[in-house]
Amino acid sequence: MAFCEAVLRIEDLRTYFHTDAGVVRAVNGVTLTVAEGETLAIVGESGSGKSVTGLTVMRLLARTPGRVEGGSIRFRGRDGNVIDLLSLSEEGMAAIRGRDIAMIFQDPMSSLNPVFSVGDQIAESIRIHRRATRQDARAQAIDLLRQVGITDPEQRVDDYPHQLSGGMRQRVMIAIALACDPKLLIADEPTTALDVTIQAQIIALLKRLQRERNMAMIFVTHDLKLVEEIADHVAVMYASQIVEQGPAAEILSRPRHPYTRALLDCTPHGARNRRLSPIPGSLPNPIAPPQGCRFHPRCRFAKEACVAGEPRLETVSANHVTRCIRWREIDL
Amino acid sequence: MTLGATMPSGSSAAVIVSESTPLVSARALTKDFGGGGRLLGPAEKPLRAIAQVSLEIQCGEVLGVVGESGSGKSTLGRLLLRLIQPTEGTIIFDGQDVSAMAPRELRRFRRHMQMIFQDPYASLNARMTVGDALTESLTMHRGLKRSDAKDAAAALLAQVGLTREHLARYPRAFSGGQRQRVAIARALASQPRFIVADEPVSALDVSIQAEVINLLQDLQRELGLSLMFISHDLSVVEVIAERVMVLYLGRIMETAPTEALFSRPAHPYTAILMQAAPSARRASERLLATGEIPSPRNPPSGCVFRTRCPFAIQACGEGGRPALREIAPGHFKACIRDDLAL
Repeated sequence: MAFCEAVLRIEDLRTYFHTDAGVVRAVNGVTLTVAEGETLAIVGESGSGKSVTGLTVMRLLARTPGRVEGGSIRFRGRDGNVIDLLSLSEEGMAAIRGRDIAMIFQDPMSSLNPVFSVGDQIAESIRIHRRATRQDARAQAIDLLRQVGITDPEQRVDDYPHQLSGGMRQRVMIAIALACDPKLLIADEPTTALDVTIQAQIIALLKRLQRERNMAMIFVTHDLKLVEEIADHVAVMYASQIVEQGPAAEILSRPRHPYTRALLDCTPHGARNRRLSPIPGSLPNPIAPPQGCRFHPRCRFAKEACVAGEPRLETVSANHVTRCIRWREIDL
Repeated sequence: MTLGATMPSGSSAAVIVSESTPLVSARALTKDFGGGGRLLGPAEKPLRAIAQVSLEIQCGEVLGVVGESGSGKSTLGRLLLRLIQPTEGTIIFDGQDVSAMAPRELRRFRRHMQMIFQDPYASLNARMTVGDALTESLTMHRGLKRSDAKDAAAALLAQVGLTREHLARYPRAFSGGQRQRVAIARALASQPRFIVADEPVSALDVSIQAEVINLLQDLQRELGLSLMFISHDLSVVEVIAERVMVLYLGRIMETAPTEALFSRPAHPYTAILMQAAPSARRASERLLATGEIPSPRNPPSGCVFRTRCPFAIQACGEGGRPALREIAPGHFKACIRDDLAL
């Protein structure tokens, strides 16, 4: 992929948390690219580092023990200039955050302010980044509510978050995120707390808005089945590293890393697997991950060579890489 | 399960009569929340969380209950265990009328029916070791002496894939999956015959979810338990349940043997739920429900689903609640339209 169309390019990113028990290398050498109008899904289980990757891009770790200890995050702004987000001042980042890069989370109730109407909160995000009168901002808020599929936006604009259902609140969060027409949206498990019927509506909405605006999206999820639906590319994370990355359709139909295969196999597919196949063992200790390949203690294909050295990402095809030294010989 | 005569006119509930005696049977269960007299001002309209639901669960049967948030599935589970009082209707457990039991009698009876929740951390006492929690249940429900109870507790842990060493630990020392195993062990301590599992794997990672489902499946078969498995996730229910009941706004929309329900859904709501699951179908071919589940305080007239149903016609709003009709052996639906290809 040529850099000219990349909106975001993360290289060898390392985000570490210094805790009393030791150093948690939550993101350990992650390299990713997201292009204009494209969706990259980051998939993994709890503790894999997928959310910390998103938070690092947004530079939202300041009040946590998390520190970026290496790598670069280059973002192509509106004017076409490439900026290294990690070297920006706090003020410089604040100008980008919410305007050029926006983020939505799993639980909209904890992101919305309970004592302001949703209209005020959308208008606020407009007025922080752009000059607009109160009336203009309110009119834009109503228009955004309509765009995210809220009926009677003229009435709803004065509602408080508690008056809305979970699905409606997530629509409001999307309206706030899109208020300044960002080039990149980071969505961290945005539908996990919603019913499947509402999830289907929100996914359809995100896809429509993305198409209309040619926006890039990073979609963080634990649900491989959603990936097929929303993503062009997927990065599978395990124990702070990307273990496989490539076109979504290719990875889901023909995974080249044993962990991706194991994740697919333990997902219920109805009648096709009346007996589920869990992944043996448990997630590794984040402070002292296993030597060699981090997945080797749980991998049915592991050999001595897998313990000896840490595997690099190997090229499977043009855009497809896997962190497995045995991918050519094993039948997944 | 067979369906006998329907209820007297005006009621949409079906009376379910079967040849074998079921372990759990509920007749025309209704649960209202709120309403009644307020100190000042007019009486508030009650919220009908469950309306005229009848069901049977056989010995050793797994019944899956699905529906969106607000469909009443958790309320139904709690009603069957009489953790909450039904407003109307009866619950018979192994021939005894649980809905009419006095508190003392009910307390003794509870050992036969247990519950597992979504969040095991909230249902385990953080200040009690796992051993103490299990021992408490074993001495109270099974009348074991404390000295014997410890061995019995260790045996329970072994049954759920944990070890004797875990007895001395507190809930916080366990991972999410292990904690759910502890909650299962505690539910089993009283040797129940019926367990209501309310979203037991919804908070777990997929790899852990698979372990816990397999464990529940094994225990259910070994012990011949009857299980009501409540979940919003149809793919999980399809794996574990023998029969599935689909609820919407406190009413049964469809119920059928699992295979029949998934291969031939007969109610538009069932089809929509199935197709909404990611990767179930291409997004462009998917049936979508319009809007969101309405407030149970003001359910639509006629069929309660008609306001979101892509197939609703005028008749759906008229003529009262559609009755549950048997369309194939053991397969019932509450939809007046028989002309749909779902």
